[in-house]
Amino acid sequence: MKKTQNSLLVSARDIKKIYQVGKVEAPALRGISLDVTSGDFLAIVGPSGSGKTTLLNLLGALDVPTSGSIKVLDNDLSRMSRRKRADLRLKFLGFVFQAYNLVPVLTALENVEFVLELQGVGTERTGQAMNVLEQLGLSEFANRRPNELSGGQQQRVAVARAVASKPKLVLADEPTANLDGENAETLLTMMRRLNEDQGITFVFSTHDPRVVAHAGRVVTLVDGRISKDEAKSRSTLSAEQLKAQKE
Amino acid sequence: MIRKVSVRYAFRSLFRQPRRTILSVIGIGIGVAMALFATSWISGAAKMQIRAAVESGTGHLRIVPRRWLDKHENTLRIGDWREAEKAARALSGVDVVTMRARGNALLAFGNRTAGVEMVGVEPETEKQLSRIVQRAQLEGRYLEPNDSGKVVIGRVLAERLDVALDDELYVTLSGRDGMRSAMLVIAGLLDTGTTDIDSSFCHVTLDELNKITGYEGPGEITLLLKNHQQLQDLKTELVDKIPPDSAVMTWRDINPSFAAGIESDRAFTKILIVIIVIVVALGIAGAQLTAILERRHELAILTALGMKGRQLISLIVIEACIVGLGGAVTALLFGGAAAYQLATKGVDLATFMGEDFSFGNILFDPTVYGDFGPWLVWYSLVIAEAATIVASLYPAWLAVKTNPADSLRTV
Repeated sequence: MKKTQNSLLVSARDIKKIYQVGKVEAPALRGISLDVTSGDFLAIVGPSGSGKTTLLNLLGALDVPTSGSIKVLDNDLSRMSRRKRADLRLKFLGFVFQAYNLVPVLTALENVEFVLELQGVGTERTGQAMNVLEQLGLSEFANRRPNELSGGQQQRVAVARAVASKPKLVLADEPTANLDGENAETLLTMMRRLNEDQGITFVFSTHDPRVVAHAGRVVTLVDGRISKDEAKSRSTLSAEQLKAQKE
Repeated sequence: MIRKVSVRYAFRSLFRQPRRTILSVIGIGIGVAMALFATSWISGAAKMQIRAAVESGTGHLRIVPRRWLDKHENTLRIGDWREAEKAARALSGVDVVTMRARGNALLAFGNRTAGVEMVGVEPETEKQLSRIVQRAQLEGRYLEPNDSGKVVIGRVLAERLDVALDDELYVTLSGRDGMRSAMLVIAGLLDTGTTDIDSSFCHVTLDELNKITGYEGPGEITLLLKNHQQLQDLKTELVDKIPPDSAVMTWRDINPSFAAGIESDRAFTKILIVIIVIVVALGIAGAQLTAILERRHELAILTALGMKGRQLISLIVIEACIVGLGGAVTALLFGGAAAYQLATKGVDLATFMGEDFSFGNILFDPTVYGDFGPWLVWYSLVIAEAATIVASLYPAWLAVKTNPADSLRTV
């Protein structure tokens, strides 16, 4: 995939999301406007409950806003059926979750292959899935099930699964939350390589400074609103170096 | 090696909670085994009853005068009976053809009388067709083709008339031009052991009956087929070949209440099977629902990755199909073994019914054998798969309707 600089992938305008908890309304997002352009390596930061995951779910077409509009690759989500949104996710979006969330009864290779099967790829999908694992240095884990892998290895397989279908945008919800420094660094380096080499756009929700350090753009959420949206130069320091610097 | 990951996923998912899966399989297996056994029993019993009816004299098909359909008069005869007999004998798939006529007779001996339906028969073919004649114990002998002035009556009837072998009975019956009478010598006393038959049995030769009444030809031509399944086809074929003043009846038309009894048994069994399947399906639905709720987070992840509703339903239905297959195999092991036992050893109804195995003038077999054949395989597969697939639809629908964002947020 060629890297297309500055093309608009996501355009969110004044989006609000209110959850109904019994009879009480709980606003999670209170009017957010955000553009994500191709090639972004964007971190959404903020304290717990600030709306990071909700925003990520909306950008990933997993949910629809209470009001406002979101366009993903020129598709207006509010006008799309569940089936069309599923199709959009399958073809253009990838997801990485905090708790790895690999299918426990499938091997690493099968987890990656499954996404390709859902896309309708034929028998060549096994080879394609293996290629992705090889590219990300995971081929030795191909035939292991998730319970035979460490947390870091599982999360790397989850990234492989997310990028196997060559998505334009990968949304990662707290991807390093359960990882130690070394594993987090390996994962971030891998994702950054995918961003730079293959032009895959990444949007993270995080409050991990290691992720922020790697991000090219940081959007800060406070109480369901964007309080800061700043572009920054990426750190070249490793996680260990960042930790030492912090101390 | 299963090529599709989704099928591997469905198969392995069943072994996350092996005890639940095994219990589901056993539940379906027992339910379907019960359905198999009930169907084997009722189907075997129905076949036995039909065979008993047709071999007790009814035959599979009967050619009668067309007017008999409205009037049911024993004095009616088939007009061009030679043409009708020729058509019946020319039919392929026919085992026995015999001709009969009937008359309502009053038998008298001394000061005792009894009203009976006297049947004029062709002795040779009657012996081939009628299990009553074949199986009964005879004191004396049955009729011979050229017997004149001879009669064979049932043992109970003989006791009522207080007659014995070689006694002469005075017979009165309506003939062509009024009441006719004759003296007949008792050639044989027939004993089936069942009161209904033994108190009404009264056979003379067809020629003898016509000689007494003054009529000519048979009142019915009865056909016993080699294969019961050909009934409708052969009836259709026969209808086209017989003279227009004749009609063809099946054993069902001749014994409507008996046929209705068999249909009623079948309907009851079907209702029973439906109830069994519903109970099994509800149990499986509960287990499936629990399995889906336990995996709602995982299914939400798959939905997030782009799995469509159709694919999600397929996944859950594949799991159900595998459970259903296991249930069908279990059912075949248990239900098939029971049906095999029923088909080979049978159940001796003498234990429940005593020695009287007749209903009307139909002589039943004392032992009921179940039906056994390749149908057991497709039957158990269809019922087990249908029950599990139906049971999986609600959990599948629930899984599809669940918003992935909600599942991801709440877990």
